[in-house]
Amino acid sequence: MTTTAAAFAYPDATWNIPDRIRDAHVRSWERLAARGEWWTGAERVSIAAEGRRASALLDGLPDPGRGPAELPDAAVFTVHKLIGDLPNVSREWYDETIQAEGMSDAHYIELMGVLTHVWSIDEFHRALAIKLEPLPDPLPGEPMRRRPEGLADHGSWPPTILPKDLGESEVDIYGGTKHTPNVRAAMSLHPDSVRWLNDMLDAHYRGGAEPGPDHEPFRVLSTAQRELVAARVSALNECFY
Amino acid sequence: MLRESSQQTGALSSLDLQGTVNPEADTGVPHGNLLTAFAEAAVHQTDALPGLREQIVAELGVQELVDAAGVVANFQRMVRIADGCGIPLDEFTKDATDDCREELGLHEYASAANTA
Repeated sequence: MTTTAAAFAYPDATWNIPDRIRDAHVRSWERLAARGEWWTGAERVSIAAEGRRASALLDGLPDPGRGPAELPDAAVFTVHKLIGDLPNVSREWYDETIQAEGMSDAHYIELMGVLTHVWSIDEFHRALAIKLEPLPDPLPGEPMRRRPEGLADHGSWPPTILPKDLGESEVDIYGGTKHTPNVRAAMSLHPDSVRWLNDMLDAHYRGGAEPGPDHEPFRVLSTAQRELVAARVSALNECFY
Repeated sequence: MLRESSQQTGALSSLDLQGTVNPEADTGVPHGNLLTAFAEAAVHQTDALPGLREQIVAELGVQELVDAAGVVANFQRMVRIADGCGIPLDEFTKDATDDCREELGLHEYASAANTA
């Protein structure tokens, strides 16, 4: 587990990876290594490492090893559940998980942010037969443990923040819009996960503030082709949303 | 989402959403079946994946392959956020896609119980 000077250099990739994607991946590794609000940098890297263990288990590959910090049992189980048993995630399981030792709703959301972003970068690499990037060395520092203002029950399992209720330090996370899809607000309990999500959405899918093929010159697939792929991935994961 | 987009562009009026749940169905999207086959192979990491990569490069191009891989990666993330948080359907989505969800059998998914 080392941080190289040229992370995501893609020296041996058969495909030309656009800079906007590479740069977002580099920023992701910087985010991953830093302390979070509820997990240390070492714990965040361990969450990512556990995600790789979960994938290896599913694919019948050798165990790539644990990360630098020990995680609560419930956190380890959560990683494996979200990667390998998504259709059976339920409200009852979520409620039990956030009450387990070492967990809370905020720990759960930050874990989800770390796991899903790193794992999706790994999935990008696997889809293109590119070797996985070594996980970064964690940076020191204790979690800040700050809950944002404006949290309330808006129908998701964790509390979320509506655009109109954003506090001063989170006012950027929805890009200034008055309405935001529930999936973007889902992790607003941990605002940095929403910022990370925005960055990765731009890199992997959306690309720019204005949707539509006329506004995304670097997108080569049509909107319909991209949404067809998106819908197929959602169906394969049995995702109702 | 797909049908809404297609209706807005007006280019794919014959779109068959069954292609999103049934790989054999014709979606009406150019190279749609190839792209959905790639998505499935990437999600499940099947032996078909190398050949499908080559086929996309041959029929569409290298950057199209990278674009498709980005979409797969993006939605591998998004579905986990959605189902891991039990988020409700957005009002505009619910109104616009009720018939599609019935048509595609999405109410049979276990996650339908979590997404009111």
